Amino acid sequence: MSEHDAVDRLTCVLCPVGCELEVGTGPAGGVQVTGNQCDKGVPFAEEEVLRPKRNLATSVPIRGTASRMVSVRLSGPVPREMIFPILTEIAKLRPEAPVRRGQVLIADVLGTGVDVIATRTVLAKADS
Amino acid sequence: MSGPRETCDVAVIGGGPAGLAAALGARRAGAGKVLLLERDRTLGGILNQCVHDGFGLFLYKETISGPEYAERLTEDVLREPIRVATGTMVLDLSPDRVLRVNSREGYRLVEAGAVVLAMGCRERTREMIEIPGTRPAGIFTAGSAQNLVNLQNLRIGNEAVILGSGDIGLIMARRLVFEGVAVKGVFEILPWANGLERNIRQCLMDLRIPLELRSTVVEIRGRDRVESVVVAKVDESLAPVAGTESVIPCDTLLLSVGLIPENELAKKAGVVLSPLTGGAVVDETLMTSIPGIFSCGNVLHIHDVADWASFEGFAAGERAARFAAGERPAGPTIRVSAGPNVRYALPQLVTRGKPGVEWSFRVKRPVRDVAVEVKGLTSGKVYARRKFARLLPSELQKIKVRVAVEEDLEVGCP
Repeated sequence: MSEHDAVDRLTCVLCPVGCELEVGTGPAGGVQVTGNQCDKGVPFAEEEVLRPKRNLATSVPIRGTASRMVSVRLSGPVPREMIFPILTEIAKLRPEAPVRRGQVLIADVLGTGVDVIATRTVLAKADS
Repeated sequence: MSGPRETCDVAVIGGGPAGLAAALGARRAGAGKVLLLERDRTLGGILNQCVHDGFGLFLYKETISGPEYAERLTEDVLREPIRVATGTMVLDLSPDRVLRVNSREGYRLVEAGAVVLAMGCRERTREMIEIPGTRPAGIFTAGSAQNLVNLQNLRIGNEAVILGSGDIGLIMARRLVFEGVAVKGVFEILPWANGLERNIRQCLMDLRIPLELRSTVVEIRGRDRVESVVVAKVDESLAPVAGTESVIPCDTLLLSVGLIPENELAKKAGVVLSPLTGGAVVDETLMTSIPGIFSCGNVLHIHDVADWASFEGFAAGERAARFAAGERPAGPTIRVSAGPNVRYALPQLVTRGKPGVEWSFRVKRPVRDVAVEVKGLTSGKVYARRKFARLLPSELQKIKVRVAVEEDLEVGCP
C-alpha cells in the first residue's frame, strides 16, 4: 500500500492472535497505531508502514551439472526498495557446481549487510 | 500376482514433506524395514519448486525456503536405514497391502506390513472450472508455471492474468514480476481472497498488482496463443453479470483455482473417501477404512502450511509402524461431522472413550470473534470450546478435546 494513503490496515503476524491494526498519521509525522492488544503491535506496524523489509527468493542458472537451476534467497530481510536493485545483481550470477546449501554467492549485496545464499545443494556432474 | 517380491514393515508412497516425515516417524516408532517410494528423480516433492521463504517456522523454528526444508528433511531420512526408491512409481495398491511397483530396475511386488499414503495433490485445471473460449497455448496452472520458471528457467510469457487468489497464484504473481513479466491482475470469484494475508500484502500490494474480488474469467480468446481474456463481475450465486465484461489483452493465463488430493491409488485399494476433503476418511490414528493403510499430508486434506503436512506425516508413520508390529486399534465407533460454517473436521472417526483427540478444521466463510465448539450430538454437551478473533477459509485450524467421549460429535462454529 502506498505511503500516501491516510490509513493502512494490516494484520499483526507476531503471534497467532493476529490483531487487525489500523495505522494512521500521528503527531510530528509519526504514525498512530490502533487495534493492537499488546505493546509489540506498535513497532511492528511502524516498521511495516514506514520501513518495510522483505526477503527475496529466485533461482539462477547453474553450470557444470545436470540441474539447470540453483535456488537462492537473502540471508535476512532488506529494505523493500532494495529488492529490484538486488535482483539485478543476482541476475548476473552464473555459479558453477558444486554449490552447497547456505553457500554465500554474493556477500553483503549492495552494502545491505545481507548475503545472497544458495538454498539447495547442487553436486557437480561427476558426483551426481 | 506374480513377479519379483520384496517385503517391508512400512511402505510410504510419496517423498514430499508428508512422506519424508512419515518414513522418519515409522523409524522412530521402531519399524525395521521402511521403504520410501517416490516417482520423481529426487525427494522433496513440490517443495523443490517453492523457492520462496516462509517454510519451517513450526518444524525448524526459523523461516527457510522450500528447497532448504526439503533438503533438511531428506538429510534426516538419509541418516536412517530407510530404503529410498526414487524414479519409482506405484501402479497399484491392494487392500491386503501389496504394491505393484515399476522402476528402472523393472516391475516388482512389495508386500508391506503397513502403508502410508503421502501422494500429495494436483491442481484444478481449466477443464475442471469450464472456462469457455478457444484452446490456445499460454494457459498454465500456477504450479506448473512455477516449475517451468523456477526449475527449468523458461520464460512463460510477457503479459499475464491470474485467475484465483490461492497462495501459489499470489507467489507466482510476484515471481513473474521479478522475471520481467507484466501481471495485469488477479481475479477471484469469491468475495474474499483465498491466500494468506502475508502473501496478499507482499506479493500483490508491494508490487501494485490489482486484486479484483467477485470477478472471474468468462472467456479465453486467441488462436495459437492467448491474445486476451474477458473478465466479468459475478453475482451472489457466482454467475457472471451481463454488461460487466471487460477485455484484458494478455498472452498468458495462470490458474490458481484449488487443489485436489491425488487418491487414484487409494481408490484402487478401496479406501473410503470423504466428499468434503477429497481425501480418505480417517480415525484419530490417521488410519483409513482399510486396516493398515494410513494417510497424511495433502493427499488426506489440503494444508496451508507444509510443516503441518510433515507433522501429520510423523504421526501417520508412527501409527503405521505400530500396526506393522501387530498393534490393532480397538475400532472407531464415534462419528464426527462438520457443523455450522465448518467445511470439514478431521478425523471423521474416533475410537470410543479415547481422550486427547485433536481435530483439524476449516470454515466455509470468513468470520470474526467466534467460538468453535465440539459438541455431543446426543447430549448437546460442549466438550471443547475455542475462541478465535478471526477465521478464514484458507486457514487450517485446530481444536482439541481433552476428555474421553462416548457419543457422536459435531465440530461447529455456531
